[in-house]
Amino acid sequence: MKKNEPVAALLIILATVGTVVGILAYEKYARSGLYTVELIARSPLNGNWLARIPGGGWQSRKFTVPYGEETAIRIRNIETVSHGFALPDFKVEPPINEIKAGEVKIVKFVADKKGVFPFMCTVWCSNEHLQMNGEMTVE
Amino acid sequence: MVYGLWFMANSAFAAERLIEVKAKKFVYTPNIIKVNKGDTVKLRLISEDVHHGFFVDGYGVKTSAHPGQEGSLQFVADKAGRFNFRCSVTCGALHPYMIGYLYVSPNYLFWGGAFLVIFLGLISLISALRKKQKDERLKLFGIIPLDWRFPVTKFKPVRALLKSRWFPLLPIIFNLFVFTIILMAGFIGGLSAGNYNFGVMIVWILWWVLLMTFMVPIIGRFWCMMCPFPLIGDWIQRGKLVNVGRQKSWGLGKRWVSKWRNLWPLVVLFWVSTWFSGFFTVKPFATFVLLGAIILIAIITALFFEKRTFCLFICPVSGFQGLYSNFSLFGVRSRDPEICKKHVPKTCVVGSEKGYGCPWMELPYEMNRNTYCGLCFECLKTCPYDNMDVVLRPFGQDLFAERRRTDDVYNRRGTDEAFKALTMIGIFLSFFLAFQGPFGHLKDMVTAKTFGGYLGYLSESFSVDFLLLPGLTLLFAYLSKKFSGNKEVKLKQVFVNFAYCFVPVGLAVWAAFSLGIILPNGSYLLHIISDPFSWGWNLFGTSSIPWTPVFTGIMPYLQVLATAIGLLFALDFGYKFSLRTYATVEEAKRGWVPILVFLVGVHIFFIKLFTG
Ligand code: SF4
Ligand code: SF4
Ligand SMILES: [Cu+2]
Repeated sequence: MKKNEPVAALLIILATVGTVVGILAYEKYARSGLYTVELIARSPLNGNWLARIPGGGWQSRKFTVPYGEETAIRIRNIETVSHGFALPDFKVEPPINEIKAGEVKIVKFVADKKGVFPFMCTVWCSNEHLQMNGEMTVE
Repeated sequence: MVYGLWFMANSAFAAERLIEVKAKKFVYTPNIIKVNKGDTVKLRLISEDVHHGFFVDGYGVKTSAHPGQEGSLQFVADKAGRFNFRCSVTCGALHPYMIGYLYVSPNYLFWGGAFLVIFLGLISLISALRKKQKDERLKLFGIIPLDWRFPVTKFKPVRALLKSRWFPLLPIIFNLFVFTIILMAGFIGGLSAGNYNFGVMIVWILWWVLLMTFMVPIIGRFWCMMCPFPLIGDWIQRGKLVNVGRQKSWGLGKRWVSKWRNLWPLVVLFWVSTWFSGFFTVKPFATFVLLGAIILIAIITALFFEKRTFCLFICPVSGFQGLYSNFSLFGVRSRDPEICKKHVPKTCVVGSEKGYGCPWMELPYEMNRNTYCGLCFECLKTCPYDNMDVVLRPFGQDLFAERRRTDDVYNRRGTDEAFKALTMIGIFLSFFLAFQGPFGHLKDMVTAKTFGGYLGYLSESFSVDFLLLPGLTLLFAYLSKKFSGNKEVKLKQVFVNFAYCFVPVGLAVWAAFSLGIILPNGSYLLHIISDPFSWGWNLFGTSSIPWTPVFTGIMPYLQVLATAIGLLFALDFGYKFSLRTYATVEEAKRGWVPILVFLVGVHIFFIKLFTG
C-alpha cells in the first residue's frame, strides 16, 4: 500500500516527461546518423526552403555538403500542398518528382563536383513556385 | 425478358457525358454532377492552384491534376445513387473535406430511405392508435421491459477489478501517455496537413468517432472513466494518486454557482467551441492549443472549486456525453434501496478510507440517471455492503427516470437537457454541411476566410441551434398540446418531454456523420501511428500505406440505416413520453400525432441530407 503512491507517480512521469524525452532522444541519436542534411520544404511565402546541418542550426535556402562523400538529404514537406525536389547537376537516388504534404523522403547522391549548385521545387505549389529554390555548396 | 427490355431501354438512352471539372482549394466547379445510370462519364480534371485529386466514392476510380497538367478519368456510371467525389491528394488544411456530389439517377436509395421513414412512422402511428390503456410496465419496442436490469458486477472478477484502487487509474495513465504524444505532435506539426498529423487524426477522427459510435451509446461516460485531463487536478485536490487521503480538498474547494448547476454552461461552451471547428479539426497547432487550454483550465478549476466541478460544468465535451449517456446500455446503480436507507453516514457521498465521496457530486445511492455519473467507480469502492452495481439495461431507460431529489445537482429532465439535445442536432447539421457537403463557400465561412463570412457562420449556427430547432419543437409541442385537448399540462413540460426524442436521433445522426469521416479517412490512421511526427519514422511498417477509402459504396446505406434506427427509438420513446405527458391514453394518442409528423419530417430531411 505504501509503495502505491511512488509507483503511480513514477508511471505518470514516465507517461509524460519520459515519453517526450524518449521520443526526442530516439530521433536525435538513433536516427540522425541516417542523413547528412535535413531540408524542410516550404512555399516561398511561408519561408522557403530551410536547411539544418548537423551541429549547425538552420539556414534559409542554402546548405553545404562535404566533397567526395555519399550525401543523404532528408526532405520533409511540412506543408499542406505537394512539393518536389530536384538537384539537376547530380544523379539523385531515388529520383523524386513529388513529395506530398506530410511526406518525408531521403535522397542520396555522391557529391563528386565542387562548386555551387541550384536545387529547386518541381511541383507547382503556389503562385510563387518558381522562387522556391536554393543553392547547395560542395566543398 | 422484362429485365432485358428494361435494360435495353436503359442502355438506349445511355449517353457519353463529357465533363470538365475545375479544382481549387477546397471546392470543385461544378460541385454537383448529374448523370444517368449507364452513362459513360468522361472527365477532365483541371487544377487552378495546386495538385488536386478526384476520387469517386463507391466507384473507387481516381485521377489527379497538377496546374497546367490536366487529369482524365473515364468510367461507366453503372451504380445509381449519390456518391461523393473527393480530393485524393493532400492540397491544404481542408483537403479531407474537399468534396462534390455525383448523382447517378434514378436515386433509389433516397426514395427507399424516405419511404422507409414514412413506413416506420405509419407503423408507429397504427400501433399507438390501437392502444386501449396504459401499460403496467413500459416495454422497449413492446418487448423488453424498460425497467429490466442485470448487474454485471455479479461476476466476481468484474467487481474486484472495479474495486481496485488502480482502476481506472491505469487506463487514465495510458491515455496520459497517448495525449502526451498527441500534444507533442500537435505542437511539432504546427500548421502542416492535419490528415498526416497524429494529434489531429487521433482526436478528431478516431476519438470522436469512437465516442459517437461506441463509447457513449453503449457505455455512457466511458471516456470520462479514462480521461486524463482531470488527473492533475485530482492529484492536487487529494494529495494522493492511488490511495485515499483526506476527503477535504487541498484546493479552495469552492462550490459552483447554484444557478449554473445544470447543463446550461455545457450547452453554451460546446456551442462556443464549435466556432473553432474549422481550425482545430484540421490544424495540428490549433488542436494543441485547444487541448492545452482544456488541461490548464481543468487544473485551475480544480484549485478553486470542489471535486470534478470542471467535468460537471465546464468541459465542452461533457454535456453531450452526459445527456446521451442516458441512452446507454450500462449504468452504475444501487441494488437494494433499503440497505442504503439504513446506512449512515452514506460513504458513497462522504467517502471512506476505501475511496472518495462521489467526485461528480452525485448521490450514488439514489442515482437513477446517467447524466452526471463519470463512471469513476469510487462508489463501488466505498460501499461497505457491495450494494452498488454496474448494471446492463435496455437502451434509453434513464430517459424515463424522474429524479426524486433535485436540490443539489439538477440531474433531472429540464430545459437545459432539452436544449442540449436540440443544439446537438443543429451542430451536426452545420458540421455535416461544412465537412461533408459540396459547398465551398461554407468551408470558407467556417475557416474564417473573410471576417464577414465567419460572422455569418456564427449567426447562422446560432439561429439554427437556438432559435429554429427549439422553435420548431416548441411549435409542434404547442400543436401536440392543442390536439390532446389537455389544458392542465404546461407547454414547457410538453416541450421538454418530447425534446428527449432527439437523444437517440442525435446519437444516430452523429454516428452517421462519423461514418462519413472514418470510412474515407481512416487509412490515414495507419500512416500516423507509424510516423506520428512526420519525421519519416516507420514504427509499425505502415507509414507508406497510401490513402485508401473503404466501404464508401455502402456508406450511404449505413447512414440511412443509422437514421432509421434513430427514428425507431425516437418513435418508441416519443409515444411513451406522450403517455407520461398527458393524463389519459386518448389525450396521449391525439397529442402524439403532431410530434410523430414532426419526427418523420425531420428524418426525411436527414435522409435527404445523406443521400438526396
Ligand atoms: S467531463 Fe471532460 S474532462 Fe471530465 S472526464 Fe469527461 S471528458 Fe474528461
Ligand atoms: S455515482 Fe459518482 S462515485 Fe459512483 S461511479 Fe458515478 S461518478 Fe463515480
Ligand atoms: Cu484538393
